Amino acid sequence: MSDAAIITTNNLNLWYSGKHALESVSMKVPKNRVTALIGPSGCGKSTLLRCFNRLNDLIDNVKITGEITLDDENIHAPSLDVVTLRKKVGMVFQKPNPFPKTIYDNVAYGPRVHGIRDKNELDRIVEQGLRHAALWDEVKDRLDDSALGLSGGQQQRLCIARTLAVEPEVILMDEPCSALDPIATSKIENLIDMLKEDYTVIIVTHNMQQAARVSDYTGFMYLGKLIECGRTKQIFEHPTEELTENYITGRFG
Amino acid sequence: MKFLKKVNGVFCASEGTARLSALKEQSIKTIFFFTAAFAVIVVSFILLFLLRDGYPIFIDVGAINFLIGPEWAPTAAEPLYGIYPLIIGTLLVTLGAMIFSVPLSLGCAIYISELATPRIKAVLKPAVELLAGIPSVVYGFFGLIVLTNFIRVSFDIPTGETWLAASVLLGIMALPTIISVSEDAISSVPHEYKEGSLAIGATRWQTISRVLVPAALSGIAAAVILGIGRVVGETMAVLMVAGNAAIIPDPIWNILSPLRTLTATLGIEMGEVSVGSEHYSALFGIAVVLLIITLIINLSAVAILQHLRERRTAPAGRKPLIPPGTRQKIVFAAKMLGLALLLVLLTAMSWWLAPVVLLAGSLWFAGRPFMSENTIQKSAFCLIGAATLIVLAILLIILSDIVINGIPALSWEFITQPPMDLGRAGGIFPAIVGTLYLVAGAIAIALPLGVGAAIYLVEYTREGRITKVIRTGVDLLNGTPSIVFGLFGFAFIVLYLNAGVSLLAGQVTLALMVLPTVIRTTEESLKNIPQSLREGSLALGATRWQTISKVVIPPAVPGIVTGAILSIGRAAGETAPIMFTAVVFSSRFLPDSVLDPVMALPYHLFILATNVPGASMNQYGTALVLLLLVIGFYAVAIMVRTHFQNRSRG
Ligand SMILES: Nc1ncnc2c1ncn2[C@@H]1O[C@H](COP(=O)(O)OP(=O)(O)OP(=O)(O)O)[C@@H](O)[C@H]1O
Ligand SMILES: [Mg+2]
Repeated sequence: MSDAAIITTNNLNLWYSGKHALESVSMKVPKNRVTALIGPSGCGKSTLLRCFNRLNDLIDNVKITGEITLDDENIHAPSLDVVTLRKKVGMVFQKPNPFPKTIYDNVAYGPRVHGIRDKNELDRIVEQGLRHAALWDEVKDRLDDSALGLSGGQQQRLCIARTLAVEPEVILMDEPCSALDPIATSKIENLIDMLKEDYTVIIVTHNMQQAARVSDYTGFMYLGKLIECGRTKQIFEHPTEELTENYITGRFG
Repeated sequence: MKFLKKVNGVFCASEGTARLSALKEQSIKTIFFFTAAFAVIVVSFILLFLLRDGYPIFIDVGAINFLIGPEWAPTAAEPLYGIYPLIIGTLLVTLGAMIFSVPLSLGCAIYISELATPRIKAVLKPAVELLAGIPSVVYGFFGLIVLTNFIRVSFDIPTGETWLAASVLLGIMALPTIISVSEDAISSVPHEYKEGSLAIGATRWQTISRVLVPAALSGIAAAVILGIGRVVGETMAVLMVAGNAAIIPDPIWNILSPLRTLTATLGIEMGEVSVGSEHYSALFGIAVVLLIITLIINLSAVAILQHLRERRTAPAGRKPLIPPGTRQKIVFAAKMLGLALLLVLLTAMSWWLAPVVLLAGSLWFAGRPFMSENTIQKSAFCLIGAATLIVLAILLIILSDIVINGIPALSWEFITQPPMDLGRAGGIFPAIVGTLYLVAGAIAIALPLGVGAAIYLVEYTREGRITKVIRTGVDLLNGTPSIVFGLFGFAFIVLYLNAGVSLLAGQVTLALMVLPTVIRTTEESLKNIPQSLREGSLALGATRWQTISKVVIPPAVPGIVTGAILSIGRAAGETAPIMFTAVVFSSRFLPDSVLDPVMALPYHLFILATNVPGASMNQYGTALVLLLLVIGFYAVAIMVRTHFQNRSRG
């Protein structure tokens, strides 16, 4: 790979109470690019994604070995604060999960917890985040309404805005479009395209076309292993592994 | 295969037997309907009889004068029946109890739901249940012996029987209710909210304080309201420690003043009043007022919880009940009000407390921007941990006091001999037997009625107007203070039905009191039976009743048994319902028939503690036996539950 890496994993292993869910995964995630993770259900895509912001810490009985670095810093180092890490690595979940607060408060949540109190500054961040997430025009007159009143697609874009408002370096997206219709999906895909100017995006998807459309790099996972990883064009057109080819062409199992 | 065998009686139905079985189905349904309607009938009877005996006072004195009359002096030469001081007393005790209880409960609930490791959780949850299982008369006894003395000595006042003592004691009694309901509310906040917040880089404390607790706020509100209901309806404990002077504290925030609640008035005076007198009807008037207050409290908690449940299941997009802006204002106003009250009360306790707390508070706010989120989180977790430790310490102190002082009294003679010398010597055998008789009778009456009602509610109807009425009836019955059951039992069973003060009257009264518990637990276990089982049976041509009796009920039995044992435990510790309906203090003999009065452990303890000087040893012995008995029932219930849970899993 030619682009500079922002996240690297080295021989990463993960066990859920004894079950080996990631097996010696070594990969590089290039900076300011979109990387897609594909693979059959249960192969460990979400698990890998959640390693990058250490969200697996919340689950009991998880054992991790190997190394993950962000900007050449080991994210499991005792000196590294997990809160700081998560500030740098934001996440958008499969199911939209806005807080039961107003639209404004949802986007302002991140800046507020990071200590910004000034009302004008918050207003600015909220507007910018919502514009970035292509939601501003739809909600600018109802910022004080509950976020739970938005449609699924709007909620997902709100969650993206909420993530952007913290200005992370990396954005993790776990099947962000799986609950959305084609129109909302294309809105989010366009958004991802714009995002890579300022951010590094890692997206998990089951949709091959989506992976081909939005990503620069693609990683294929199977049964907890990273089978291969490289430029999307190359993976889709000339995969080196037979497994990958079978999966992409739908000749699987 | 097994299935087929169960229903194969249906296959050979000719014309005639078909009609017969339809008739049978119909009559079974009717029977269940009546058991379900019973709760509603009881509620209406309670209201009817309280009003029947209470309305003369509203006529004679006038409803307004009765409610706002400044003096309660029913035995004066010129009797005065103003319950204003009693209403204020109830309010003040409740307020103090909540100020004591809510912060501790919230801290403990947050600890259990968010911070505790699974192993610690497995200790804390039963501890909270244990706190709920201690009978109120045992709380009262502990309050009278330990708490009031502690207050008397620490504040250097002639007697510790004060508003403060009552509030602290009732606050302790409200802890388990508030903790368990709000812990449930916090735990059921969707996991995605938590992950969403942490993924943004919020600390755990920020996630708890800004997302989880706000999202659980209505559940927490319901918890507090239920706690208030518990406090307002409590009789024995408050009666034993509040001093019971029917005065309004002077000045109003003087927490070292004695006061008297509505319930305590009933508990104290009902036994001495002559039936049919003006005083008698004034007491029933109080019961009416008390009933109305607790009904409002409980129905609003039920309404909030109901709304919550609907919101959880309804698709997103519904407007919230209160718009967020207004909600913020309400929360802010509530905070300010709470703060003001706290300061007033602190001032009342000691002049230097309020300024110290204020100073600490302003230091906190001034320093906050300079503190790292980590420091804030650490201090918050310290406070939460401290609250949990305090709750545990309270439980330990109460248990150890009773166990340590009670063990020397225990002996073979103590549990096999009748009392002598007013209970100072001898044993408590008749009281143990009396209590067992009472609860056995109560559960024998409540179980069929309650199970029938639950079967009707779950199996025979769709949710509709009828179930709504019945459910409301059950909720109302559940919220009715135990002393009100006592009065009703006295007016209806003892006098109107002419059963006299008797074992039977006590059994029926207790049965009515535990009926809602039986209905609820049975309903729960029936609802846990998967719908597919019923459909499987019905699809084979089994009738409804065959399906229920052969397929639905058998797997629900453990749940029903657990509920029944919990009800027994609850009934065994109750004093107020049997005080005027079933018990005598001292009896050398066991009852010959259900129409004889009996002795009972809780009442025996009450009299020993309040009316018999120099019975210290036997007081503790009785308290310990009662505690062991009640906890024993709870332990059996929990064992039954886990046994069957394990069996159904393995
Ligand atoms: N909390 C957990 N505890 C135990 N095992 C888990 C847990 N989460 C995931 N697993 C297991 O780890 C494996 C990988 O799961 P993961 O969720 O990462 O798969 P995935 O590739 O995201 O699948 P999908 O495409 O269905 O989302 C699965 O076999 C799953 O059963
Ligand atoms: Mg997944």
